[in-house]
Amino acid sequence: MTTLFINEEEVTVAAGTSILEACRQSNVDVPYFCYHPELSVAANCRMCLVNVEGWPKPPASCCTPVSEGMKVSTESEALVKDREMAMEYLLIHHPLDCPVCDQGGECKLQDYAMEHGSGKGRYLEEKRIIKDKQLGPFVTTSMTRCIHCTRCVRFADEIAGTGDMGVLNRGDHMEISSVVDECLSSELSGNLPDICPVGALLDGPSHDVSRPWEMTRHQSTCTQCPQGCDISIESRGQDVMRIQPIEGSPEPWLCDRGRFVYDAFRNESRLLKPISKQEKVSWNDAINDSIALLKDKRIGIICSPDWSVEGLSAIRLLRDTAFKNAPVAFDLHRRDKRSFAFEEGFSQTTQQIEDADQVVILGSDLRQRLPLVMQRIRKRVLADKPVVRIGSMRYRTNSELQKDMLIRPRDWVSVIASAIEQVMALGKQAAGMQAWLDATQDRHEAGKVLADALLAETCSLLVGEEIRCHNDAAALIHGLDLLMRGCGHAEANNDGRNLIPEGMNAQALTALFAKDRMSVSDIFEDANQGKLDAILLIGSDPIGDGLFPVQAREALKKVALIQIGAIQGEISDQASVLLPASAYSEVEGTFINMEGRVRTAHHPLEVLGDQRPLWKIMMRLLQALGQDIPAVSLEELRIHMHRFIPELTKVDDKQQDAIFLSSARNRKSILPTQITLRTLDVVSRYSMYREGMWARSSELLRGAGERQKLADVIMHPDTLAAQAGSIATLDTDHGQYQFKIDVRDDISPGVLFISKRGIAGDISNVVSVDINGGSA
Amino acid sequence: MQCVLKWLKRQINTWLLLELVRGLALTGKYLFKPKITIEYPEERTPLSPRFRGLHALRRYDDGEERCIACKLCEVVCPALAIQIDSEEREDGSRRTTRYDIDTTLCIFCGFCEEACPVDAIVETQIFEYATENRQDLYYTKDRLLATGDKYAKQISANLADKSQYN
Repeated sequence: MTTLFINEEEVTVAAGTSILEACRQSNVDVPYFCYHPELSVAANCRMCLVNVEGWPKPPASCCTPVSEGMKVSTESEALVKDREMAMEYLLIHHPLDCPVCDQGGECKLQDYAMEHGSGKGRYLEEKRIIKDKQLGPFVTTSMTRCIHCTRCVRFADEIAGTGDMGVLNRGDHMEISSVVDECLSSELSGNLPDICPVGALLDGPSHDVSRPWEMTRHQSTCTQCPQGCDISIESRGQDVMRIQPIEGSPEPWLCDRGRFVYDAFRNESRLLKPISKQEKVSWNDAINDSIALLKDKRIGIICSPDWSVEGLSAIRLLRDTAFKNAPVAFDLHRRDKRSFAFEEGFSQTTQQIEDADQVVILGSDLRQRLPLVMQRIRKRVLADKPVVRIGSMRYRTNSELQKDMLIRPRDWVSVIASAIEQVMALGKQAAGMQAWLDATQDRHEAGKVLADALLAETCSLLVGEEIRCHNDAAALIHGLDLLMRGCGHAEANNDGRNLIPEGMNAQALTALFAKDRMSVSDIFEDANQGKLDAILLIGSDPIGDGLFPVQAREALKKVALIQIGAIQGEISDQASVLLPASAYSEVEGTFINMEGRVRTAHHPLEVLGDQRPLWKIMMRLLQALGQDIPAVSLEELRIHMHRFIPELTKVDDKQQDAIFLSSARNRKSILPTQITLRTLDVVSRYSMYREGMWARSSELLRGAGERQKLADVIMHPDTLAAQAGSIATLDTDHGQYQFKIDVRDDISPGVLFISKRGIAGDISNVVSVDINGGSA
Repeated sequence: MQCVLKWLKRQINTWLLLELVRGLALTGKYLFKPKITIEYPEERTPLSPRFRGLHALRRYDDGEERCIACKLCEVVCPALAIQIDSEEREDGSRRTTRYDIDTTLCIFCGFCEEACPVDAIVETQIFEYATENRQDLYYTKDRLLATGDKYAKQISANLADKSQYN
């Protein structure tokens, strides 16, 4: 620790802190443009000059580390003059177009010009003009306004990792330029307008529409991925203008999926009125129609994980009261319904993952699935900390991973077995290891990578969708659990077992429905066999998303569908009754993210149609079914919620802001089973721009998805000598399909990658296929 | 003694009707003085160039509307009488799609005119805009531009006059 004096006040900060950071920590105002807490220091705006006693010239405080006993002053007559001159330089080429600039009202340059500027310029020569850049639909540029702070360049280099931007020339000719005059290829590109301190980079979709002072801010939680970032939804009147990150929240950035999904909040795919038999009806009629389909019937419940915990508790109340023993499913991708040794959700915070000695990513396209965790991983890589990955594709990452092993999904068992063998050889043991090992004969070299990483002091295991959706997932996760326990990474304070969940509230869902959960495919199977009369679908779209669209279509020919949701999906045409519920942006409620961080939204967006909060719909259904209503207000409902998840009371008492629910962990040993497979393994690919009802309804994200998409069916060129553009005939258990294939050499040989949303959507649930050669 | 004199004075004032005479003299004086009232609407008083009457939106000489949708008038308006929506026009310039002034709310303070960086919104010398129904008091962008076009010369002359006080 270092002690120094700022404006004669004694301040103690960590050694190596810059003067500017020390000032910020002690709430002393120092103006700056180019400094950003998340970026490296450039020290090129010269705005943060301060006086240090005994130093001949004022240093730039952002790049000067503190030293013991240093006496810093941030106010003096000389500094006023220095800042005035720095402002004059910055404003030399800056146009006086604040009235047409979207940044006006939240612009640092504007504020500092008022606070520190001289009020008149002396520069009478011609101002220069820079041509605007095309950076895609999310970013609008006006490069004459640029003051060359290079925050965007550093962002592209350090955070996004795409290196899309750079600086050309020097002095008066200096110019920020994008290397490719195309859209930014990063999934974090929406952050660029936020980090630009002036109006050079602006938010594209809301350009020229609104002013910052017109906005009403609604603090909420993003439910577009399990990360659950804190967001501020900004609305103007009834329109939603943009979504911004909240300063001071754990993640400083927002991904494009969470940021630009607001497009769907107010579009025509929203469900605003109750619909029965394809016609808009009143709530009473709609409830009566659904009761006719539900009362005394055998139903299956499929719900989306994205509702607030209050909404999910209400679903549980409905089930407990009226539909005892009804099967519940909330994950559209899980083939294996046996409970896992560690259930979905993270045991660590993203910060702990960043700090861990070793990180292993198992079968996950982390950059698409959890862009902000990938961002943390990237920070690790930049700091030369090891990150290894095993998976069936070298998913694009923006950073050089230390080791990147390609395997086929059928190899997971042998990878884990090989790791167990090596760990056991080093004397690390866990009960059950030998039995697991005996169940399989094959070993895979990638196991060494896994075993090596596990030997570190702390190790984070990020288990992705390739394992979670595996049809022998419970056995694989049990094997991983044995490994982690054997190597001491499963203790309470050093738990590195993280299973990337499909959606929000993973831990709450496990706590609410752990014992009764089924796989969605089982519910459809039951429906097909006549074991169910109706399916109550609460907020998801099994035809549009997930692995089981074919089964869903089959099942819905036989049973009635009652859909409750905020937005219509591809399944909505088949629904007998559609009940509109408020979206996540329109409810007061609690959300729990994958790390167990709890957030409560208090000031929701205005509801435009007849939507009701989910819990009210559930209570209304219960009333219409002739049952007692367990809760008539949100407070009463929260009593039930606390009964289901007692840990949440601690959060309400403000003792902590995160919970960790030790979900029903399966201690039973599950051994791998041998199944005969066809020649090629099929992996369904996830796309952040195309997955989920909200993302699909958002035109902004659809556009981005079009630009980023890969071919629908991909193979490695060595696999059966596949050629790009050839038509292949695939034999599956359900019949023959013909698809045009593309080849990429970053995927594992022997694997067929398909896009769930493309032409090959119908074989999403197929585990392996035989290929009858290309016709080319 | 004094009180007797006082009584006498009062009696003279009362019985000779002196107060009435004085009053009539004042009335008579104004009967012959020149009159300051005028026969409105046949006659009109001159108006100051800084008069704050009905609003108008101005154009540049080439016909391009001046307003750039900066919304400063909207935010400065103390009566919340102005409503603006804007978007990027096809040529890339920032323009309003809606510019409404509700004159039933307006208090004619002139702040909008002062806030405007491009002299687009002005208050003219028109004060006779009474209507038979309330909705006609709601001025849309087209009507404001029409007023501006109609009185363009007068508005420019007044602005030139006003500029000496800035």
